This record gives sequence, C-alpha cells and structure tokens, in this order.
Amino acid sequence: MKPPDSIIELRGLEKSFGRQKVLKGVDLTARRGETMVIIGTSGGGKSVILKHCIGLLQPDAGEVVVDGQVISRRHFSDAQTIRRRMGMLFQGSALFDSMNVGENIKFAVREHNRDLTEDALDAMVEEKLRLINLSPDIRFKMPSELSGGMKKRLGLARAIAMNPEILLYDEPTTGLDPITSDVINDLILDMQQKLGVTSLVVTHDMVSAYKVANRIAMLHEGRIIFMGTPDEIRAASNPYVQQFIRGQRKLGATD
Amino acid sequence: MTPAAFLESVGAQATSASGRLIQSALNLLERLGETSRLLVRMIRRLPLAAKNPRLLASQTWRMGVSSLPLVVVISVFIGAVTAIQAHYQFRGFIPDTYLGTAVCKFVIIESGPVLTALVLAGRIGSAIAAEVGTMKEKEELDAMAVLDLDPLRYLALPRLLGALLSFPLLVILADCLALLGGWAIAAGTLKVTTATYVHGIRFLFDTYDLWVGLLKAFCFGGVVALMGFYQGVKAGAGAKGVGQAAMRSVVSSCVWILMLDFVIVYIVY
Repeated sequence: MKPPDSIIELRGLEKSFGRQKVLKGVDLTARRGETMVIIGTSGGGKSVILKHCIGLLQPDAGEVVVDGQVISRRHFSDAQTIRRRMGMLFQGSALFDSMNVGENIKFAVREHNRDLTEDALDAMVEEKLRLINLSPDIRFKMPSELSGGMKKRLGLARAIAMNPEILLYDEPTTGLDPITSDVINDLILDMQQKLGVTSLVVTHDMVSAYKVANRIAMLHEGRIIFMGTPDEIRAASNPYVQQFIRGQRKLGATD
Repeated sequence: MTPAAFLESVGAQATSASGRLIQSALNLLERLGETSRLLVRMIRRLPLAAKNPRLLASQTWRMGVSSLPLVVVISVFIGAVTAIQAHYQFRGFIPDTYLGTAVCKFVIIESGPVLTALVLAGRIGSAIAAEVGTMKEKEELDAMAVLDLDPLRYLALPRLLGALLSFPLLVILADCLALLGGWAIAAGTLKVTTATYVHGIRFLFDTYDLWVGLLKAFCFGGVVALMGFYQGVKAGAGAKGVGQAAMRSVVSSCVWILMLDFVIVYIVY
C-alpha cells in the first residue's frame, strides 16, 4: 500500500551493467509536490535511478511505481501516458542540435497535439522562454550559439513544454559557474512554486542541494544510506554522509 | 617442452581458436537478428511517414542532391574506364560496333548501381552512423524517448525512405553520365564514331536490365540507411565509438551490397 502522498516509489531497485552492480536495492519515495535531491559520488548510479524513474532503463529486480502504476514491468502498456506527465533535464542538456531553440521546445508538443496551430505553438514557446527568464528573441538561434547556462535553461524549457507533473533533473548545475548555477537553482525552486511540480534532482553540488531540496537522499555503494531534510543531513552521524557533505577525501577526517 | 606438453598447448590453442570462431559466428547471428528486427520495426512505421513530409524531404535532399557532385565525377570516370578497357580487350577480335553495347550492359547492370552504392555507402552510411552515434552520445536519443518521440519514426524512417528514393534516381543519373563518359572517350580518343557508339548501345539494350539495376539501387539504398542507423545506435562511447560506428557502417554496407548484388543477379538472370 503506497503512502497517500507518494508520487514516485522505488522498491528494492537493483541494476547491473555487465559485472558491475550499480544499484543494490534502492528504496526511495518522493512525495507529491516536493523537491527531492539525490546526492552521491560520481559514477555511483544517481543518473541510473533517474533513468529508471522515467522508464529509460528497466531494473534487474525491484519495482518503479509512478503515481500508483508499476512502470518497470517488461510489457508496461501505459508508458506514453506516464512519460507525457514527466519531463527531464539532461546533464548535457541533450538539445536537438539540428533544430533551433523554438523548434526544440515545440517539436514534441506539435507531434502530440496535431490540432495546435503554429501561432499557438509560437505563443507556447514564448511563454516557456519567459518562464525560464530567457528572451523570446533567441527562439531562432541554434543550440550551438548558446552558452552552457542558456542550454541548461533551454533544456528546462523543453522539459516543461508539455506541462509535466514530475520533473527530473540530472546534474543541473554541473559544469556551470557559481552564479549561473544559482540561476538554475532559482529556476528549480520557481518550477516547484509556479507549476507545483514534483522534482527529483540528482547532484553532487551540495550548495545546490541545500538550496533546492525539501529532502535529501544519499546514495552510497548502491543503496540509500540516508534520507532527511537539509538540516537533518547536516546533523547526520553517518560518517559517509559527513565525508560527502564536507567534501573530505578521507573518511572521518576533521575540518 | 615435452611432447605431451606441446600437444596439450596445441590442443588448448585449437580449443580457444574454435571457441573464438563460434563466438564470432554467434555475434554475427545476433547482429543479423538485431538488424532484421530493426528493419521490421521500420517497415511497421511506414504509414507514419506521410505525417512528417518535411523530415522525409530534408533527408531525401541531403542524400540525393548533396551527393550529386560525387556521383557525377565517379560515373563519368567509370564510363570512360569501361570504354577504354572494352576497346583494349576487343582489339582484333570484336568490332567497335559492340563497344557501346559492352559499356551499356556493364554500366546499367553492374557498375552503375553497385559502384554508385559502394561510394554512397561511404558518404551517406557513414554520415548516418556518425550523426546517430553522436546523438546517442549526447543523450538526444534518450531525450526523444523522454518526450515520447519515437526515434525510429523521426530519425530512422526518414533516412530509410530518403535512401530508398534517392538511390534509384542517383543510379539513373549515374548510368546516363557513365554512358556519356564512355562516349567521350570512344569519340575523343578511340576513333569510334558517335553513330557507331549509339548503335552499339541500342543494339542489345533491354529495359529489363534497367529495371534490374533500379531494383538493385533500391535494395542498396535500404541497406546503407539500415546499416548506418543500426551502427549509430550501437555506437560506443566517445569520439572513438562514433568513429568505429561510421567505419562499421561502411564495411557492413559494402559487404551487404556485394552479397545482395550476387543474390539479385542469381535470381533474375
């Protein structure tokens, strides 16, 4: 029986790539409307968790439940409906290089809503660009003409184009300068406040985690070893958690 | 080394060699199965192609029109070389009347479709593999899946249809230009009159040969697009992975083109 406010549940998720077992039984629940941040070392499987949540990967064992539906079954038949309720910002933005900014945002919307006119689509593009604080004038630019921060914002604009209820962020501030990172953090908060979305953020940037998270989960050696609010994680007694949030090379080192 | 140890080491090497051979054969069968499944999945999406005519038009343009300069150059030279070779082999045995016949038969049945397809496998197949491989590397394929956009419909199908449409048209052009190249050499340096050359072309010209050539071009276009997309999707990580995908698409396309050429010729003649 799922808790009444949970929207994403991972139950005993296990995943291996070749001989390497990346996830060894991940249990995680994201509540409706919250921003949950998953932290952990690079290569530890954080992005793998996100890809399971949206059905890009299937687990070797365990279940992924989105809004009461188990989406990790091999022949899950309602994947389209679930995916259209979710959006994802990729680590490298994953913009379609052959399309301009406007086309990147409206391509999927046009394909899924054949009745929409080009004027309506253009208005939607303008609205989404304004929502992420970008000028609508850039809609004719190509992704290669944009800076790293603008690409991330455009990736977010594309992710929210279909008005998703759930947003997944894969390392949203990686590779950005501190000021641009903070712009992205503010946008993540904006999305929660203005659109009421549930967000799952994967990051190893603790500044970002503290700023955007309602709750933080720490992934360590394939399992969630801590779950709590930013204040609770600061006070956590687990030595691995303390090592990570303080950025220490050695376990148990003091400042 | 004792004789027993020597025999044991030879036996172990033979076992490992046969193991590798079996593994290679299994890998080949697996790839064959995956490619066939991919083709079936593309064919199932054919009715959807009409919903995105712009994608189809842009791919056909990219493959067809952009390949024109290359096709023009190779075709003229193929025709010219065929005329020189035929004239040299005929000397003293076969009259020049048959020069046009030889060039026409060879160009329309074999060199037009096969050599054009081999060159286009290098140009178009590698481009598809590199493009799709890079899209995979940059997570654009995942982004499409997340947006509920089917990569087979929006990426593979336009490329497949673009190749199926443009290859026969390019081969018709290649045939004409090769005949022209043959004529230029025949009239210019081999002292064969235009009337004799044209008479030779018309002497044994059979539209059936032309249709066979076009059938080949159609099949080769499908092979090049299919191999390009398949290798792109299977590309490994990084620049090396994309490079290898492009190389594999060219090699596998060329092997398939030559094998298919044999099968078609064997069946239709």
